[in-house]
Amino acid sequence: MTVISLTRGGTADAAGAPAPRRRRGLRVRVALARIGAGLAVLVPIVFLSSFITYCLGALSNSNPAATILGQDAATPAAVARLDKALGLDHPLVVQYWNWLVQAVHGNLGRSYFTQIPVSQSISQRLPVDLSIAILAVILAVVIGGTAGTVAAIRRGGWFDRGVTAVCSVVSTLPAFVVGIILVVLFAVSVHAFPANGYVGPSAGAGPWLSHILLPSLALSLQVASDIARQLRTSLVQVLDQNYITGARVRGLPYRRILVRHALRNAAGPALVTLGYDFPQMLAGAVAAEAVFSLPGIGQLLLESAETRDIPVVQGLLLVISTFVIVVNLVINTTLNWLYRSGDEVGT
Amino acid sequence: MSRRGSVLRLPSARIAVGVLAVVVILTAFGSALAPQNPLAINANALFQGPSAHHLLGTDYLGRDVLSRLMAGTRLSVLTALEAVGIGLVLGAIPGIATVFMGRWFDFAVNRISDALMTFPYIFFVVAVTAALGNGLVQAMIPVGILLAPAFFRVTRAATLEHARAQYVEAADLLGASKLHVIRVHVLRKVLPNIVVTTAAMTAAALLTVSFLTFLGIGVQPPTPTWGGILSSDLDYLSQAPWAPFIPGALIAVTVGALNALADAVRDRSGAGTLVLADPIIPTDLSLERSVA
Repeated sequence: MTVISLTRGGTADAAGAPAPRRRRGLRVRVALARIGAGLAVLVPIVFLSSFITYCLGALSNSNPAATILGQDAATPAAVARLDKALGLDHPLVVQYWNWLVQAVHGNLGRSYFTQIPVSQSISQRLPVDLSIAILAVILAVVIGGTAGTVAAIRRGGWFDRGVTAVCSVVSTLPAFVVGIILVVLFAVSVHAFPANGYVGPSAGAGPWLSHILLPSLALSLQVASDIARQLRTSLVQVLDQNYITGARVRGLPYRRILVRHALRNAAGPALVTLGYDFPQMLAGAVAAEAVFSLPGIGQLLLESAETRDIPVVQGLLLVISTFVIVVNLVINTTLNWLYRSGDEVGT
Repeated sequence: MSRRGSVLRLPSARIAVGVLAVVVILTAFGSALAPQNPLAINANALFQGPSAHHLLGTDYLGRDVLSRLMAGTRLSVLTALEAVGIGLVLGAIPGIATVFMGRWFDFAVNRISDALMTFPYIFFVVAVTAALGNGLVQAMIPVGILLAPAFFRVTRAATLEHARAQYVEAADLLGASKLHVIRVHVLRKVLPNIVVTTAAMTAAALLTVSFLTFLGIGVQPPTPTWGGILSSDLDYLSQAPWAPFIPGALIAVTVGALNALADAVRDRSGAGTLVLADPIIPTDLSLERSVA
């Protein structure tokens, strides 16, 4: 069994270094090693996922130049000229690199059919999905967090059993089924909320929220149940630890023990769950768009997939995977912060 | 953790197996057992509620809902199994192999697995169908590829655990080959984890299939599928608001049975599903250990 250190000055190096006299120096080195190790993981992931994204388009046996020119105008000479103009005569890796460099500068190319810049059509529609997804994350954390915490404190009680039962039912319901149920309950039967459509926040917070509340709720339920279950499990374990008993013996107020000691140490697995669920949440946003007929990126994706508008599809996939990576980096940073301050609280 | 006795002693597992047996029968003989022709249109019987003639009512073309659900089972279930099969092969084999094949291979495969985890199923699948053509059987290949990281992580973690055991060390010292160690010592121990993951991933694949067919990807309109029936119900909510609950419940019950079975096997064998200690983008490389 060997411990891998794959980074320049990786974690193993730092740990094995002779104990430095100044603590500050060691801290800086550990921090640098951590950043180095993080980059060693992150950089390959970014390149691999964007390369897979680019390859999807390149591997399609569609001929972009012929598609753009249309059947009549697509003479071999014209196709060759356009191929050159689009840079399609280069090897795949060169094409990928050019595409990536352009993408980093915010240029994702133009649609084959409408000639609208891809970045423009994505940025037009992204706010819809972002509002839904952000509200859904908030709802999931609030609902799931509260349910999980209360269930863990009242372990074995009726609330705990209720949460467990509800969670196992909810986890079997896909977001689009939940969405349909919500539409039937609140929009068709009661008319409490609009059943479809989207109004931007510029129209006022009230109408905006009423349009995104049902889709967000549909998205959040499954994530909320995952968080509740995970948080309950880890909180039950943490509450059994000696340092919790110790804190209670010292007479600290229960609320303070719960928040500062228990929740801080128990939140990690629930956060990781959120990281796992986030990509599927974006997929769920597509479902929510379909159910509530919202003009989001899901519709754009389906439309462009149907017409095989490769630049739009590639751009969308790149934006989405970047989002997932960024959210997971935020979660990782939060985890680091939680665990580090957790050490200080625990000892 | 590991308790003696068959998985089937748990009541939840028995119910789950019962539900799944029904689904299997429907998959095999669904169209033959259907009481009526699932494609027969009857303009005189639109949006009917449950009756003796139509046990689950009729849809917007007067077609028998029960027959459509029974006939739609085969395509929905078989494509889900196709994706799981692909994920199992692409995930479990590298999951065992990386532990024994050296750190660079391990590092590379791990990063590919991480990269795949950044794609949401639907976006990736729709993008692939845009590039490679529309069809449910083709569409399930990318679903399988995206299921592979889950199999990979679970198998790799379980393999690591067992490959560090003393009896493996002893076998190594006695001159056993890596293949022998894998076959005799590792595979059998890792199998419960793979079974649990397979059940959980079948549930995930079934949800994805239903969602894809709900979006109309990979199927032509008259062909009945679970998701497709749900999608057409959605267009006529004002006439028949109860209609989507029937296919919705069918999907939920099947998925619930698979999850319950996964839980039961896990309880009985002490195997884990997902390694939740590792985030999608791993933070600590020192966790990545290799035996080779």
